[in-house]
Amino acid sequence: MTLGSVVTDVPRTSRPEPRRASHRSRLRRRLAPYVFVLPFLALFVAFSVYPMLFTLRLSFTNWHGARAPQWVGWGNYTYLLTSPSFWQSLGNSAVLWLLIVPVQLVVGLLAAVLLDNARTRMRGFYRVAFLVPFVTPLVAIAQIWVVVFDKDYGAVNGVLRLLGLPAVGWLVTSTWAKPTLALLFLWKTTGFIVIILLSGLQSIDGSVYEAAALDGAHRARQLWSITVPLMRRTLMFALVMQTLAVFQMFAEPYVVTKGGPYSSTTTAGLHLYNAITRSDLGTGAANSFLLVIVVMALSLIFVRLLRSED
Amino acid sequence: MTTLTAPDRPGPAPATATSGRRPRHRALGSVGSHAFLGLLTLAFLAPVVWAVISAFKPAGQIVSSPLSLDPSQLTVSNFTAMFSDVPIGRGFVNTLVVLAVKGSMTMFFAPLAAYGFAKYRFPLRDALFGTVLVTLMLPTIVLIIPLLLEMKELGWVNTYQALILPGAVDAFAIFWMRQVIAAVPDELMDAARVDGCGEFGIFARILVPVIRPSLAGLAVLTVMNIYNDFVWPVVIASSQRMATLQVVLSTLAQNISGNRIGADYATVTGELLAASSVALVPLLLVFVLLQRHFINGIIAGSVKG
Amino acid sequence: MHQALPRRPRPSRDLAGRARGLRRTFPAVLTAAAAVVALAACGPAVTAGGSGATGTASAANPDQLQAPSDANPSGSITIWDRSGDLYNVFDAAIAAFNKKYPNIKVNHQAVDINAKLQNTLITGSDVPDGVFLDDALVAGYSDYLWDLSGVLKPYVKDIAKQKVDVSTVKGGVYGVPFDLDPGLLFYNDTALQKAGVDATKIQTYDDLVAAAKQYKAAVPDAKPIHLEQTGFLGQLQLEMYANQQGTSLADADGKLRLDSPAYKQILGWLDSVQKQGLGTRAEYLSQSDVGALDSAKEVFYPWSIWFDFAPEQQLKTTKGDWRAMPLPAWSTGGARSGAMGGSSFVLPKAGKNSQLAWLFYQFLMFDPNGYTAVYGPNSVYPNGLDTSIPAYKPAADPAKPLFKPSPALGNQDLWKTAIEAGDQIPGGTPIPKWWAGAVDYLGSNVQKMLDGSMTPQQVIDQSTADIQKNLVDRQ
Repeated sequence: MTLGSVVTDVPRTSRPEPRRASHRSRLRRRLAPYVFVLPFLALFVAFSVYPMLFTLRLSFTNWHGARAPQWVGWGNYTYLLTSPSFWQSLGNSAVLWLLIVPVQLVVGLLAAVLLDNARTRMRGFYRVAFLVPFVTPLVAIAQIWVVVFDKDYGAVNGVLRLLGLPAVGWLVTSTWAKPTLALLFLWKTTGFIVIILLSGLQSIDGSVYEAAALDGAHRARQLWSITVPLMRRTLMFALVMQTLAVFQMFAEPYVVTKGGPYSSTTTAGLHLYNAITRSDLGTGAANSFLLVIVVMALSLIFVRLLRSED
Repeated sequence: MTTLTAPDRPGPAPATATSGRRPRHRALGSVGSHAFLGLLTLAFLAPVVWAVISAFKPAGQIVSSPLSLDPSQLTVSNFTAMFSDVPIGRGFVNTLVVLAVKGSMTMFFAPLAAYGFAKYRFPLRDALFGTVLVTLMLPTIVLIIPLLLEMKELGWVNTYQALILPGAVDAFAIFWMRQVIAAVPDELMDAARVDGCGEFGIFARILVPVIRPSLAGLAVLTVMNIYNDFVWPVVIASSQRMATLQVVLSTLAQNISGNRIGADYATVTGELLAASSVALVPLLLVFVLLQRHFINGIIAGSVKG
Repeated sequence: MHQALPRRPRPSRDLAGRARGLRRTFPAVLTAAAAVVALAACGPAVTAGGSGATGTASAANPDQLQAPSDANPSGSITIWDRSGDLYNVFDAAIAAFNKKYPNIKVNHQAVDINAKLQNTLITGSDVPDGVFLDDALVAGYSDYLWDLSGVLKPYVKDIAKQKVDVSTVKGGVYGVPFDLDPGLLFYNDTALQKAGVDATKIQTYDDLVAAAKQYKAAVPDAKPIHLEQTGFLGQLQLEMYANQQGTSLADADGKLRLDSPAYKQILGWLDSVQKQGLGTRAEYLSQSDVGALDSAKEVFYPWSIWFDFAPEQQLKTTKGDWRAMPLPAWSTGGARSGAMGGSSFVLPKAGKNSQLAWLFYQFLMFDPNGYTAVYGPNSVYPNGLDTSIPAYKPAADPAKPLFKPSPALGNQDLWKTAIEAGDQIPGGTPIPKWWAGAVDYLGSNVQKMLDGSMTPQQVIDQSTADIQKNLVDRQ
């Protein structure tokens, strides 16, 4: 009997209660969650909650590090909300999100399905190969991107020229810098999305496919009508995770484009990083919390959209 | 616990089921899927191959003629320069220590706490988990200065505990594991309770085997994150004694990523690529050697309990 | 067997549950956040408004470093340098230092300074005694640094004025000047001569344009003059042109002064070079740039002295064809050079042995054995360090070169050319704290102008407004 069958075979109404449980075991059950959560909680409060509260308080001051901070109320927030560069940074991140996340989910799902298929040869090789970018230090990759996407001497434009196409200013025009950066992010993280989706696929009971096969379902249709719905939870998870990652992204644009040309690759994450490097710590903190609100809103929207499709 | 021991996932995967009827389709599909996977692999590997080969080119040529390759000129000078310039061996040792301790903590405490969040009710649970979500959404760079001030108060600057403890049980791992564990039906645990299993026993013997695919995924993520983390180590480990591998790399990279002023651009690029190649090797070896156990573990873990 | 039965798909239930969970937790989060603001038991101590400014500098200024009086000083100091060959150069100079001060142990570290210094200074943890820092960043950290005007007093009259001024904030001097980086006009002598252009006749920027036109007439696909395409270096070069005219982005009081005839002239000139098709727009020594240089399409490079790295290490076909001369002047008889880049040594107040660190830098920069060890031939640079010149005039004697002529520049005596150009650099050009942040505005806008989407006047107006609002007013 498989896990799947446990779910279906045990009617929900007859859910067995540990009736004969002794007083001691009930006490243990009551205490268990505290014991389980406690080690995490200790570290979490000390090294996440405390600095977070510190940052929250910082966001209402004009602290620059050296002198005593002064309380400025909502000043940092109103400054950001009326600053075109803040909105531009959010817009840049939104465009990057559009360029990255849909592609990543589609390509990732296809690759995961193929790698899940026992018939696909060299699965081990592919899986290792897909993880290689994830292991490669970003600073090295940044160098590669700069060289490969050079307007005049880069390999990519070399290929375009061979095909009789015009050269593209990949990293030096505001039109192309975002796609080039998106490509770097895709390159670096898609392998891991494949692994996540793969782990989700493996919790699908193979027999659902057999049933579908008996119905004569076509493979493509099978993917859409069986795999995707069953994977919804994992896909949802990947979606939220990558939304967080894209909106917080700062290292990639920092090392490749420095946010240029013309701030076209200054992401939301880089924008707040810039405030911090200018020692404008209060503004950086306020920027972070505004970003939290944006990302939280997006996550709630995704959850609602996916739920309404049920 | 007969309900949980089960045969492997039934039989051959979907393709076989359709094989008898659509052989042509399958052949096409197989060519197509190999083309797809092959193309992806090429895209994923080519830049890395370039980096590794370039590391063996004379430093001056890496930047000026990035795509040329003259086998007669290959050299290890970038490597020798790099080894004499930066304490990369020390970096490896430190990374290994941090990886072992921090990685084990994440792999044990995160699923355990996530289990507590997903399957028990207790006061303030939702508020607590909400706070976890907020920290997850808060960009980590903004926490650097508060954390550093905290480390100074604790006297932990330049210590292993400062490298290890912050982020040891990170919010993302909790979030992910809670998602995964929430999907495991309660009936499974209740059944075990009826069988007289203790609360921790349920976690260790029932739950962990069930969520093994995701644990494998978490392991990959944890190893990579710790191995590649540099923002926090760079600020907290200011002495070379405590520098991790990525700190060593970022020290090399600063002359490139900072600003290109100065004469040592090409030299540093060569050393950086050499160091990056060296940094790549251990993880790649781990993946290749263990891929059968490690990544296939995702498959083997499958749905069986 | 059960497997033959179709299974009920599981996810939908969990998903709804999760959505409910999120909705449940959200108000809880808000409550928690609100409570926190009220509690606020942590965080930096906040003053109740008012001014946080410290007292003005006085004779007994506690921020001013005093020279040590100990005859035989001892102790250990931690010194941060950037990794790479400069680190190796300083490392070698430490040996010379220890001959004079055997009891001072130098703990020399190669550090990612840009990533670490700010955090270290703010938190005051493990602060080094001395740090190598870009001039453009010194003012930004001045709150944390020793005012060195006292210890530098005996030397100031012999230090290039520009170098003292860049690290001067409200009367205090916050860096020990290391190198002077004079702007020079690098030109491809071989290619120009072949086209019948005599570069040595160039006196002003108008002459430069005329020479470029003459070259383009002979080599039609040439775009002779380099136009920088990165925001940061573009702004740095703009400051070199401005420095030549004795001005910079802000005056000694931090007031913006971009809206001036000098900047109008510079931006107008850059704009006209671009509009006449006389400029190669490329990022400094990117592949595109190197390609244009090596094919002799780009033959004029008004840049800092450290451009010599290109002919020495990056260029292939035109290596040896390049020469350097002083920059053209903005008006006949005007200064023939301006500074571009450069670094200083800063001493954090939180350092443990700042006085000993001062002795270290005093030796490196002002003692003949020190500066010879830094600039002279050594194992790292067999010809000497020729990407900058000393800011300390006794070390910068045109007749006593510390580095040797370079074959990549046809064995030209770069030392003499650079020192004479350096002598002409005007002072009075401080670098404001927010200089690097201005790249997002001024640096970007200059690029937009070169794209043709902004006029020089628009660059000035827009940048002035943005810098005032986002940088000056938010200090």
